[in-house]
Amino acid sequence: MSKPIARPPSRVARAKAERLMWRAGFGAVPGDVDRLARAGTTAAVHELLFPRGPQLRKGPEPTVDGRPIDPVNVYGHDVLWWLDRMVRGRHQLVERMTLNWHDHFATSNDKVSDSKLMMQQYFTIRSRSLGSFRKLALAILNDHAMQRFLDLDNSDKDDPNENFAREFLELFTLGVNNGYTEQDIREAARALTGFTYDYNTKTFGYDPDRHDDGVKTILGKSGRFKASDVVNLAINHPKHAPYLCKKLWGYFTPRPCPPGTLKKLVAAYTTSGTQIRPVLQMILTHPALLADLGEPDQVKPPVVFVAGMLRKTNQFITTDSWTWMLDNMGQRPFSPPNVSGWEQDEAWLTTASVRARYEAASQTVRALQIKDGTITKTQTPAQALSAALRMTGRPWTSSQSRAALSRYSRTSVADKTADWQQEHYWPERLRVLCHMLLAGPDAQVS
Amino acid sequence: MNHNRNCGCDDWHVSRRALLGAAADNIVGIPEELLTDGPAAALTGSRGITRRRMLVGAGGLAFAVAAMPRFGAKGLFEAAAAAQATADPNGRILVSIYLDGGNDGLNTLVPIADPRYRQLRSRIAIDPATTLPLADHPEFGWHPSLTGVKALYDAGKVAVMPAVDYANPDQSHFNSQIFWRTGVVGQSFDRTGWLGRTIDALGDTTNPLQAISMGWNLDPILQSRRAPVATVFDPGGFGFYIPDVWSDEAALGPYRGATSGAKSKARKAAQQAYRGAIDVFDKLAPLRAQGDQVPAAPVPYPDEHLGNGLRNLARMLGAGFGTRLATISHGGFDTHDQQPVEHAQLLKTLGDSLVAWQADLDARGLSDRVMTLVWSEFGRRAEDNDSNGTDHGAGGCVLLVGNHANGGVQSEFPGLTNLDPNGNLLVTTEFRNLYATLLESWMGVDVGSVLPGVDARRLALIK
Repeated sequence: MSKPIARPPSRVARAKAERLMWRAGFGAVPGDVDRLARAGTTAAVHELLFPRGPQLRKGPEPTVDGRPIDPVNVYGHDVLWWLDRMVRGRHQLVERMTLNWHDHFATSNDKVSDSKLMMQQYFTIRSRSLGSFRKLALAILNDHAMQRFLDLDNSDKDDPNENFAREFLELFTLGVNNGYTEQDIREAARALTGFTYDYNTKTFGYDPDRHDDGVKTILGKSGRFKASDVVNLAINHPKHAPYLCKKLWGYFTPRPCPPGTLKKLVAAYTTSGTQIRPVLQMILTHPALLADLGEPDQVKPPVVFVAGMLRKTNQFITTDSWTWMLDNMGQRPFSPPNVSGWEQDEAWLTTASVRARYEAASQTVRALQIKDGTITKTQTPAQALSAALRMTGRPWTSSQSRAALSRYSRTSVADKTADWQQEHYWPERLRVLCHMLLAGPDAQVS
Repeated sequence: MNHNRNCGCDDWHVSRRALLGAAADNIVGIPEELLTDGPAAALTGSRGITRRRMLVGAGGLAFAVAAMPRFGAKGLFEAAAAAQATADPNGRILVSIYLDGGNDGLNTLVPIADPRYRQLRSRIAIDPATTLPLADHPEFGWHPSLTGVKALYDAGKVAVMPAVDYANPDQSHFNSQIFWRTGVVGQSFDRTGWLGRTIDALGDTTNPLQAISMGWNLDPILQSRRAPVATVFDPGGFGFYIPDVWSDEAALGPYRGATSGAKSKARKAAQQAYRGAIDVFDKLAPLRAQGDQVPAAPVPYPDEHLGNGLRNLARMLGAGFGTRLATISHGGFDTHDQQPVEHAQLLKTLGDSLVAWQADLDARGLSDRVMTLVWSEFGRRAEDNDSNGTDHGAGGCVLLVGNHANGGVQSEFPGLTNLDPNGNLLVTTEFRNLYATLLESWMGVDVGSVLPGVDARRLALIK
């Protein structure tokens, strides 16, 4: 039984679906663009917010040199493990928000020194990435990687470590100098004492004898507060909701959040009891997100760039090169540069990082396996370009790039007439065209 | 890439940079066989193309032809590169060598006269008789494998500073690295490095080679706000490579035509980044054209990351790209166990590299313009541990090397009788004052814009 052939969706609808999937995920896999374009933005956003079915799509498990990866024990494989989840993940917004929360609750394995704890934190975040922020923050408080990273483990009533308290107010809930004082940090640190970590057995625990159970005054409230109270006090603070909503907005678009929109986001967040979904729903359907489809305005973060390139070319993880390449691009998952996460937007692009992005495309073009001698001399420049577009998932291209690609497509083989030249240079043209579609300036933005 | 993470550190640390650098080393680069085999090399080998490009780009073929007999090909390439330089040709240069992992200062400049030294270092003390003497400071001796540093010190070209760090030092690699790199102690959301802000202050917004990160990813110290910075390890290997594309120029094909015309900030940034990378590639053409015909250095460099990096850097400085800053790291100093053998090897590489570096700079007529800073994120614990190693400590040993370094011991050594509450060397000199001195007295940069809030203390480091 043959299905009726659906009419192809409009160019604008496709562009919207592409934009949405780059911002809310890691780029649409080729078949999904038309499907989401037909469904429309509202339905596509609903699918992102309420994903169903298996977490991963079909595709080979990650390997290095043909062998399965070992993310807990082998240096760099943790990065491949996460990258694979971005590439094969079907619940794209969940995966993207897990990355965003990793940036927000930035924890680095450079200090934690335990990939297993880091991967556990990934799941701690992932399972709460679209639900209640309060529950997410409470889970982060109890997360072992975080406890190690911000010295919450072994913070004792006789010598409270202020590290977690400070970052919790400053970065995780309220914003720098936004409604709290140094005294609040000191008092919060007292409430956060009692967590323990045994270096020898590597076990985490809680010792009531090490907890300061005295009265503290935090953010204007007094009581015998314990650790979870710090979370609630901060989240109940009036400055929290605007801070968090604005930060969430910033992950999806570099445009400033209009004050009226922020008010609506805050209302959605507070009336729902700190639910993240309704906020994301409003952001993802906001006109600002889908504005200027002809001039993309957000720089793809490195992992989004790499995962997206693999998704668009239907490739999977078969090399550990991605680890050092991502490092050279400035974003190694599980190793944010400091507790305030990665600097976003234009800061991603430097002469060094763009070269690393170029190299990443070289790796991907290699895997396209465009062999010498496989292209006939009759392939016209236009045909070469459309073949390259097809092989790279039809990425957005600017008029300048299209002109440069067309010119190259004409000139690169013009004087290559001998048989041996044709054998090589026709495929070489296709390799280079694919490469620039994957890594040229246009491919760095969405 | 297996790595044992049980190093016993408070925060595990590999020299990640070094590890990744090594990995990159194996993969990046143009496969030589493509350049030398087959018809491709004969017809369109990248060398032919780049050489032609360079000659045209450097002032025309007439100059090239006229100059050829006098200088020979090699001389010509470097001369042509020098002609391309736009920045101040006489600008002073600061080179940072980072000893990654926390160098044991107490076994670098050994306090042989301090009676506590032998007690605290019962397992790994250096025998005073084997240390290399400092004529004016009998209380110290250089580690026996620092023959190179001793020679430079004896020539008055090394200022050594024991016990440099910051107040209440943090013994985590992660935090201390951030502090030393950013030049900000305590929390900061500014991700720029102190040398990145220095290059911003110097003002050139067009020349990426004004600051060179010798490696494969941008050294965080050189992270700037605006100024472009280059990341190069091997100027001959800095290329654009696509598998089965027979030349860098072909691999750049359509890219050259797609670096302008953007409207959004994001896409402008992407085009600008590509322009910068292509600019570096073009500027390095003369050095790339030398291939493996690189003139020998007057004193051979150790064939290791540091030696090779400094050799490459000397070539780039010699080519006159207007470089003012460069950074490189020398990894492996996190010596929690089996320190004596490892540390000796690391210091030998350091000393021998510095000697070769200074000789190379001399031969190129650059040594009056270059100052080299050698530093680490912290020193190590005064007392050694059960594994013949040392744990994280404080109060690192800094070296400043150059013709204009004020030779001698230039900071106070607090002795080992009184240690801090963690059993570490007391800090007598703050690293930010050291940075401020270099900025003011060497680079001629206003300290306020680079190191806000630093106090007025300066050191006698420059002569």
